[in-house]
Parts: sequence; structure tokens; C-alpha cells
Amino acid sequence: MSTPATATWQKNPALAWREIDDETVIISPNDSVMHELNDTGSFLWKNIDGKKSAVELAELLAENYEVTPDIALSDTQALLEEMSSRKLVVTVPAAGGVSP
Amino acid sequence: MNAPLANSGRGFRRQFELSIGCVPFRLQMSDAALFDAASARYAAFMDAAEHPIAIALNDATLPRSEPADFGYEFEGAAVHAFSSGIRFDGVKNQYALDSLLRVFLSWKLLEHQGFLLHAATVIRDGKAYIFTGRSGAGKSTVATLSPEGSVLTDEISLLRREQGVWRAYGTPFWGEFKAAGSNSSAPVAGVFRLLQAPENRVVPLRPMAILRTLLPNVLFFSTERESTRQLLEILSRAATEINGYNLSFRKNATFWEVLPA
Repeated sequence: MSTPATATWQKNPALAWREIDDETVIISPNDSVMHELNDTGSFLWKNIDGKKSAVELAELLAENYEVTPDIALSDTQALLEEMSSRKLVVTVPAAGGVSP
Repeated sequence: MNAPLANSGRGFRRQFELSIGCVPFRLQMSDAALFDAASARYAAFMDAAEHPIAIALNDATLPRSEPADFGYEFEGAAVHAFSSGIRFDGVKNQYALDSLLRVFLSWKLLEHQGFLLHAATVIRDGKAYIFTGRSGAGKSTVATLSPEGSVLTDEISLLRREQGVWRAYGTPFWGEFKAAGSNSSAPVAGVFRLLQAPENRVVPLRPMAILRTLLPNVLFFSTERESTRQLLEILSRAATEINGYNLSFRKNATFWEVLPA
């Protein structure tokens, strides 16, 4: 099931990462697995701050890359889901409690 | 310095000092057979430097209540770095000691802007050529094809950044050479990713590709985030500052002809 576009995202705090050549390398210390993000992925990664939703991230993407808002949102959601499946990002619990 | 040490209350312990990549150690142990084997194994790296890191082997009298800054267990042996000192436990022979020394050094090098790399290093015209790749890639072949005395190591290289310059050091952690590397160093000419091919060819790599080459060949055992972050910082710097290449090579000495000076 896909995550609501209004959910906010944060980086997994257990990870180490570094930007190089406009790309981002992320390492998971527990299993030493290396993940790479391309230019667009790196842009989103930099802006994932625990405050922005997919909608807000997509708006930034559309402003900085030549892409329509619709495509920006679908690309952003797809990338967030992919990063979530790799445990690189997690959603921030909604204020007031943990969702059931 | 490399003399027996009488230590009242803890039995008769011997010690010797060595330096790997300019990181000085003092190994202390009571097992005479282990002392003889270890001091022979590391003979080429024995060195009496100031302020060596004291490592107590199999010393059950030491306290271990405080949390360790670093810890790692390997086949019944363990290394723990406490603020009060370093201890290696369960060290049954020189091979276990060698493993723990590699593990501990890989962590200790973080504070020296350095790292251990599965790589052969050969000195040519005063510069260190570093050949890396997984087992079977050709590290030992390259070492075998190089002039006698020019090989710093055929298995594990030590790289560290000193005053803005990357230098490669030999280590006593050998591979198929069955002999210790050389306890010397040289500024790095480049890192070469070995690819066996019918023709010799060298292709420059972008920093990201160099980082991609280095990462799987780095020896690192910490699973702690801050240490991993430090390592990534060091490797990214190396990837940016060191020239890196894919080296397709035939298994003979002609590959030197295509290497950049």
C-alpha cells in the first residue's frame, strides 16, 4: 500500500552518507551495504528533513528541474517508496500519537 | 624496548613494540610461545616510537566494566578498546593476533585520516602504485611481476593523508607472498582497479567511480554510525584527491607500459 502524499519523511538516522560528483553514497553501518542516488535522488535526499511531505518535495523538484508537477509528484513518490523499501527513509509519526 | 617485562601482581609479561603505517603499538603478553611467534612475524615492523598504544593480550586481571569505545569478536577472539587501555582476549596463536591487529588498526586509522585496503602496492620511481580488486583479480600477480624490493605489500595496503598528501604504507599482513611487506611508504601515484583482459589498457575514473572501487575493498569492522561516517568522509576525500583508473591488464609485466607516470 502506498504512503499518503501528505506524509512527512525523514532520513533513517542510523545511516552514514556523503555527496560526491552530484551523486550521493549512503552506507548502512549494520550490513555495510552501499546505496547510490543519482542527481535527482540526491536533490530529494538533501531536502528530506523530517518536515516535508512528498507533495512539498515534488514542488521543489518541479522548481529546480524541467519537469511538470504531476510527473514530479509521481517520481518523488516512487523514489520515496523505493528508499523506504531499502530502509533509507521512514515516515515521521503524525503529531499526537502513533497511527494504528 | 622489546624486552621481557616483569609486572608484579600480573605475572611475568613480555612486550615488544611495532609500528604499522606510523601507528605505534606495544604488545604485552605472558605466553612465551606466542611472544616468540609474534615477534618473529612482525620483526620487519618492530619500532620503538613515542607513546605507543599499549595492547594487553589475554590479561584477565584487567577490568572491563566500562563501555568499550570499540569492540569486535572473531572466532573466539575479541578486541576491546577502552579509554583505560586496549585488550585482545582469546588470542590462541599468531594468526588470531594478526586478525585482531587488522581489526583494531582499521578502527584506529580513522583518527589518522587513513584506512586499510585490499590492495598490492608497488613502488616505482619513488611513487606508490596501488592495485586493488577482489581475490583473484591479480594483486599477487602484479606483486610477483614487480622487481624485487619494490613491493610494499601484496595483500593489504595502508593509505593515510599526511599534511595534504596521500601516502601508502606497507603492512605485515601478507597474502600469497608468505613474507612480510616492507615497513616503508611513498606518496600515492594512483589507485588501479585490476581487470584481467587480453590487452593492457588504462581508463581514468571519476571520483564517484573511485569511491565505488575503494568501498568494497576497504577493511572495516565497526557497525557504529559515527565511525562509518568518518570512514566515508575519509574515502570520499581519497576518491577526490587520488587519481584512480580501471586497469585492464594481461598477466605479464607489460602493463607498466600503459600506466601514467
